[in-house]
Parts: sequence; C-alpha cells; structure tokens
Amino acid sequence: MRSSNRPRKRRRADGFSVFAIVVALLVILFISSAIFSIALGGAPGFFENLRSQELRFALRLSVLTSTISTALVMLLALPTAYALTRTGMPLKRLSSLIIELTLSLPFILLGLALLIMFSSPLGKWLKAQGFAVVFSPAGIVMAHLLVNLPYAVRLVKTAFEDSDLRLEFIAETLGASRFRSFLSVLLPLCRSGIVSTAILTWSRAMGEFGATLMLVGITRMKTETLPGSIYLSISTGRNDAAMSTAVLMLLISGAALFLSQLAAGRRRGRKRVERR
Amino acid sequence: MKRLEVCDLTARRGSFELGPLSLEIEAGEIFAVLGRTGAGKTVLLEAMAGMFRGDGGRVLLDGQDVADIPPGERGLGLVYQDCGLFPHMTVRENIEYGLRMRRWGREERRRRSAELMERFGIAGIASQYPGTLSGGEGQRTALARALALGPELLLLDEPFSALDPATRQGMQAELLRIHEDFGCTVVFVTHDFAEAQLLADRVGILLGGRLLAVTPGAELMERRYCAEVEEFLGRDRN
Repeated sequence: MRSSNRPRKRRRADGFSVFAIVVALLVILFISSAIFSIALGGAPGFFENLRSQELRFALRLSVLTSTISTALVMLLALPTAYALTRTGMPLKRLSSLIIELTLSLPFILLGLALLIMFSSPLGKWLKAQGFAVVFSPAGIVMAHLLVNLPYAVRLVKTAFEDSDLRLEFIAETLGASRFRSFLSVLLPLCRSGIVSTAILTWSRAMGEFGATLMLVGITRMKTETLPGSIYLSISTGRNDAAMSTAVLMLLISGAALFLSQLAAGRRRGRKRVERR
Repeated sequence: MKRLEVCDLTARRGSFELGPLSLEIEAGEIFAVLGRTGAGKTVLLEAMAGMFRGDGGRVLLDGQDVADIPPGERGLGLVYQDCGLFPHMTVRENIEYGLRMRRWGREERRRRSAELMERFGIAGIASQYPGTLSGGEGQRTALARALALGPELLLLDEPFSALDPATRQGMQAELLRIHEDFGCTVVFVTHDFAEAQLLADRVGILLGGRLLAVTPGAELMERRYCAEVEEFLGRDRN
C-alpha cells in the first residue's frame, strides 16, 4: 500500500532512449502505412468484390488447404518435438540443425525442392496411384507442410523445453506410461503454446505463396489461393480485386494474431498464478 | 534387508561432479542427506529415483538396477520442495492420478482420496488448483499423492524448507506419523541439521558432491568429523 502512495519518480530521458524511441516510431509508421494503404485501397469495393465467385473460390481453397495442412503439421510436429526434447533419439543435434536450416531457406526454394521430389519416378508413381501433387490442390497442402513443419516443430519444441521434466517423471512413477504422461501431463501443460502454434501455422499457411507457386502454379479457379488470387488480379490489371483480397487477408491475419495472443496471454496468466 | 544401494555412483552436471559415492539404506529406515545448497543432494535423490542414468556406477532397488525397472514399478513416492503438483489438476485429481493410471474404479478412487485428504486435513481444498494453495497445503497434497499407492520408498527433496516454522514443525511430526503408519523407507534431503537430527535414523553428509560421513541421526552433533564437515557444522576443530 505504502509503495502505491509514493510519488513515481520520472526517469530522465537519456540520448540513447530518445534515439531508440524515434527509430521505433519511424518503424511503426512505416509498417502501419503499409497496412493502412491496403485497408484504404481495398475498403471501397470490398463488399462488392467479396461476392465474386473467384474470390470465394480462393477463400474456400485457402481455408480448406490451410486447415488440412495445419492439422497434418501439428500431428507431425508434436511427436517430432517430443523426440527432440525427451528421448535419446540418434543424431538429435543434426536433426535440429536441419530444421533450423529449413527455416532460413526461401519458400520458393522449398517449393522447387518439392517440385524436383514429386517430378521424380517416385512422384510419377504416386501420381499413377491417384496421389497427384504437382499442379494439383494436394500440392498446396504439401507446400504448406514443408514450409510450416520446421516452424511448428521449433515452437512446440520450445514449449516442451520450458515444461518441467520432473512432473512427467512423477507421473511415470505413479504408473503412467510415457504416452499417458505425454497426454495427461505434457500436452495440458503446453496447451497454450500448442494452440498458439496451431493458429500461427494456419495463418502462415493462409498467406503462403512462394512454395505453392513453384509446386502447383496458379491456375484460375483451380489452384487459386488468396495470395495467388492477388498475384493473378495484379497480373491482369484488376487492382481493386487484388486490394479487396488483401483486405480480406489482413482481417484473417488480424483475427489469427488476436487468437494467438489470447492463448499466449492465458499461458502468462497461469504462470503468474503458479509463482504466487 | 537393503532397500536401496548406491554403488560407486558418479553423475556430471556441467562443471559439477557427484561422487563416486556408495551408500546402503535399509528397509524401513529414515535416511537424511544433509548438505549445503549445490552439494548435489537433489542430483543424488533423482539418481536414487532413477530419473536419469548416472555417468558411472549404479543404483540398486531391492537388489535390482533401478534403470531396469519401469518407473511405475519402482514403488516410489517423490515429493519436491515446490511440491511438483500437476498445475492443471485439482487437489483431488492430483491425489487420484496414480490410482487412475492403475485403473482403479471411480468409487474406489474417491474413497481412497477422501481417506487421504481426511488424513492430511486437506478435504476442504479438494477442488482447488495448486496455484491457489499455501506451502503447507501443497506439501500435504504432494505427500497424499505420493502415498496414495502405498510406496515402499518415499523420496523427499527439501520438503519442508519453504514452510514457515510452525507449519514445518507440524509437517515434521506428520512425516514421522507417515513413516509409522505406512512403514515405508524414507530418504529426505535437507540443509537443516536440527531437522536431520530430529527425523533421521541415519544422516549422510554430502559436501561438494562427496559423501563425507554417515552417522546415526541422534549422534550427528556429538561425533567428530573431518575438517570440511566440522566447518559445515559450524564447529571449530580446536
């Protein structure tokens, strides 16, 4: 109580702090001007363009492929992160390095790698079995998978590393198998981290362009995702349609960011309670 | 009968090295590992539990290498200073966790947890989450969870050091009652001479990762030791 009545001391502004604040304001101005230019440019014809069949197709395809790829990414990322943080998996360091390396590669290069893989005799055999990837919507999922998997593995791995190993061991001494301890202790403890990873992965998939372009190309009303739709619209001089799609993507990204912040906020809140 | 044997155990943690260290603990005994912070007490306790494989030597539980026994079959109860409760489960769910893993029926689980909560005076907080508990309530819950399956070996890592003096005294008496009622072997880690003397049948003094002396608890302050231990006990050799 006493401390709240004490007058707050004002920190004297030093030269470096002023410099940092000026730079930060310029950075925020630069970023927000990009956001505002999309919002202002796309707002006028937004609702009209939203009714277009092409935009609706792109939205449906983006949501569908992003949802499927996110589910697959999470299904693969959880056991991979577990193996990298909780087991004596061989070549663990090399595996982590490969994941880190993939994170730093341009998406278009990852798409090229997939194109080479799926144009090989194995890819052709898969196509003959009915699993066509190149120039087909399944390729979009594949492109999302390769682009997002390393990212999700890294985020989940960080969440697992932050979780208290002793609690899982206690669960095992109480009779839980490794799998039960994973399900009943580790996953609930990392729930917020996992949920926010899934949301961010989905949001990244919605905006993925480079790898998709390289692997499946962009064919109108066939493999046209939202970013692909912007590209096609600009290429054909329909700038207002491109701007409306951009506004839609902005709204989707904003919603995803809000949800992931909500999940992260819950995690921080719980940690505060635990420390009490 | 020997419950626990530590044979030439060594464990490295960065620049810290525990051991080589050998120790035998009899069934039904209360054994205290006494030492300063950073002496390797927790590492030793976790090695006894088989949480990790040491860099050398081994730990035998009833004559069998602890690493060869699945954790759930070691008959262990483990309690940490910060309780180590599952934060996403209520007090009751924490206590019933082991019973659920052993596929006890709902009614049996309820009966057993109610018994334990009654025993430890925590029935009133059954629906609370660990984040809302006081230190004493948390330790009682952790003890009830560890004892739910009737372990043969209870390992406690500085269980009472974070408690206020009155609660600590109550919990120390509680530990003696638990030992009497459950008949389990107890190994606890402490840096408190008085606690070790009061509770333990034998005390092992661990300093700088080396076990320098093992002595009956009652004679802890009466015996003479090497200079390092004398200094730790705050006595002038001369």
